[in-house]
Amino acid sequence: MNDAARSRWRFRRWAAGVLGSTAVALAIVAGINTVVDPFQQYRLATAPRFYALHHRWINPGIAKHAVYQTVLIGSSIMESTRNGWIAAACGGPAVNLSMPAISASEIRTLLDTVFASRAPRRVILVLDFNAFAGAPDARQDSAGPIPLYLYDRNPFNDLPYLLSGTVLKKSISLLAGRVDESFRSDTDAPWFWGDRFRFGADEVLKGLDQNNINARFQQPARTLAGTNASFAHNILPVLQRHPDTQFDLVWPPYSMFVWRDFEQRGQLDVTFDFKRDVTRAVAGLKNVAVVDLQTHAEVTTNLDTYMDIYHFSPHVNRWMIERTCAGDDRVDAATVGSAETRLRSALAAWQPPSTAAR
Amino acid sequence: MLFNSYEYLIYFLPATVLGFFAFGEHPRWAVRWLVVASLFFYGWWNPAHLPLIVASIGVNFWLAHRIQRSPARHRWLVTGVAANLALLGVYKYADFLLRTLAQVGLIAPVELGLALPLGISFFTFTQIAFLVDVSRDKAREPSFDNYALFVTFFPHLLAGPIIHHSEMMPQFQSTSNKRVDWHNVAAGLFLLAIGLAKKVFLADPLVPIVTAGFDHAQTVGLIQAWLSALAYTLQIYFDFSGYTDMALGAALIFNIRLPINFDSPYRALDLRAFWHRWHMTLSRFLREYVYVPLGGNRAGEARVLANLLLTFLLGGLWHGAAWTFVCWGALHGIGLCVVRVWRSSGHGLPPAIAWAITFVFVVVTWVFFRAQSVPDAWAIIRAMTGMSPKADWPAVQTLLSANIAALCALIAGTLIVFRRRNSNELVDSFDGSWMAAAAATAALTLAVLQLSTVAPFLYFNF
Repeated sequence: MNDAARSRWRFRRWAAGVLGSTAVALAIVAGINTVVDPFQQYRLATAPRFYALHHRWINPGIAKHAVYQTVLIGSSIMESTRNGWIAAACGGPAVNLSMPAISASEIRTLLDTVFASRAPRRVILVLDFNAFAGAPDARQDSAGPIPLYLYDRNPFNDLPYLLSGTVLKKSISLLAGRVDESFRSDTDAPWFWGDRFRFGADEVLKGLDQNNINARFQQPARTLAGTNASFAHNILPVLQRHPDTQFDLVWPPYSMFVWRDFEQRGQLDVTFDFKRDVTRAVAGLKNVAVVDLQTHAEVTTNLDTYMDIYHFSPHVNRWMIERTCAGDDRVDAATVGSAETRLRSALAAWQPPSTAAR
Repeated sequence: MLFNSYEYLIYFLPATVLGFFAFGEHPRWAVRWLVVASLFFYGWWNPAHLPLIVASIGVNFWLAHRIQRSPARHRWLVTGVAANLALLGVYKYADFLLRTLAQVGLIAPVELGLALPLGISFFTFTQIAFLVDVSRDKAREPSFDNYALFVTFFPHLLAGPIIHHSEMMPQFQSTSNKRVDWHNVAAGLFLLAIGLAKKVFLADPLVPIVTAGFDHAQTVGLIQAWLSALAYTLQIYFDFSGYTDMALGAALIFNIRLPINFDSPYRALDLRAFWHRWHMTLSRFLREYVYVPLGGNRAGEARVLANLLLTFLLGGLWHGAAWTFVCWGALHGIGLCVVRVWRSSGHGLPPAIAWAITFVFVVVTWVFFRAQSVPDAWAIIRAMTGMSPKADWPAVQTLLSANIAALCALIAGTLIVFRRRNSNELVDSFDGSWMAAAAATAALTLAVLQLSTVAPFLYFNF
């Protein structure tokens, strides 16, 4: 072998060695992550770990592999809803796929995953107004990245999951039985937080500037054109594509402070107009009901059931599901106006408690 | 497609390399394969911009032929340069201009809102340089395939290096370059591993420190302002030079040598030397196609200084349509003028002092480059001079203790920048040792395991 051939052989062996060793190392990592599957992408776990704030990684796996007839999707306000409560109220197995700061586009993505895997009998969508803020594909910054590759059935784009060092760390923790990260393991309530926070008017009023409520929450401004476009782009097509599934579009009972905040920011009319437009948009769809729980002043003015102006205690979640599945509080194009009038009157009559009085 | 993405590293690059060498016996098809692969690479993020780059290539190739053959070559050249600048102007600068006019009250607020096509500054400048060279009889390209590859070759397409027709075409035309050269494959892989490691282990971990300062520019204190500026100084170097290493490495696997873009710039002893070591292909472009045509060094001293300033103002604006970039370019232009006057006066400085002044100047000017607005940049610079009364050591301690990876990257990055051989030197002395193999394997494996939160390369913004 001459020098040139020897040199060629040496560099060939070097390149093959580097590529081969890297490929083997990565294949081992991918193998471990596939077998352990800490985010349940390929099968449901027998001893699952629902890591705090990992909803966007774990929920698509649950959507694909869990057995259910009813799905609940909402934002953080719905996380403390047990699957069992939905099952008891609606009948048949159920699953709660709620995620914090969910956007309308994420609802669409999640629903696409659900319908690609199952044909649920009923879908309960609890609609946050903020989910429709911004452009139709906008997401809230606070939500962090969304791993879209986990939401489809294409195994070739799962590499960020299979070759992730973070996932490997979780796999090793699972194999070693280590519990060095906070997680829940209750499959009936993977994302339940209602047992970790205090509810009460004191909590709601803490740090709240009643003259500038949004100073604390920094919620975005919405336009009617924007929210309608987002609904038409993200939600309406799903409702139309699945006529055999019953959809309940639920307006959740925020505390009355939220409506006062809308009033302060000039968002009240936009919000009511949007509710009216949604009701009209789905009026022709027999598989869709709009449920308005925002007119229940006995709930929305009772601050002892809230931890802040948005988030209510789990018993409100249960009450919402029961009323929704019972077919209560439905509004249609004919009654949406009177619901609005009731809420406006309740808002006008409401006297918020003063911080000092508490 | 990002260089630091799974789809690039695991699917695209290996498939493109295999396809290219599979066509080795048919060089024309190997070139076409690379063009198609490069367009696929370009269209991966936004296929809507593919027609734009294809049209740009077609029109420029046609213009080059007109310049070559027409007696009115100057008119065709002006048309070509104007058309390219108009394209860049519409996509990159129109909204900036409209916003500025609206701010001074000349027009009502209005924006085009066009999405900036990736790499438009790079592929436009590459083609302007080609047209100019054709008009000077320095370039001639009869093959559309080779020209299309010259513009689209994916390693340089999105963020440079800004290549020169004369250095690339002979390589694209060479038939021997279509066969596997194992030295180039190994050296390319080595460089790619170095670049990926720079991006993943040194640039990205610094993000929390950088954003903590620059996102709260109005409230930072002395220590945090300096910490953020230094962290950004390292971040932009490792990010951009890491990207360039990956580009050069990938190209080398295809037996193509792209020009180097960085040569330990932070070791420069004056600003002129800095610009000979930082983003070298942009400096070359600005020198050859802006500074020299303006008169370069040939005019009187005052005119030379004006040329320098104007060149760097344009260089700043090239990086982005914002006043922060204009300020950054202007400061560098002024800095270079000062250096020129100082040198011509025959004064000198001890190397340590010359280096310190240069480095501090570069760090301070990066503040304008990174800040979200000119007032933000001033706020940070005020804090760096100690004019912000805020005592921020406790906040800095909290920040650093919550970001140990950032602290490690800061220390390791500083050592590497000032004490270690740079990637060009490492590749030049690459001998295929087992040590290099182990380091490359570890870097590639660990970097790939860190990719699951993909952070775009900073220079994609430009």
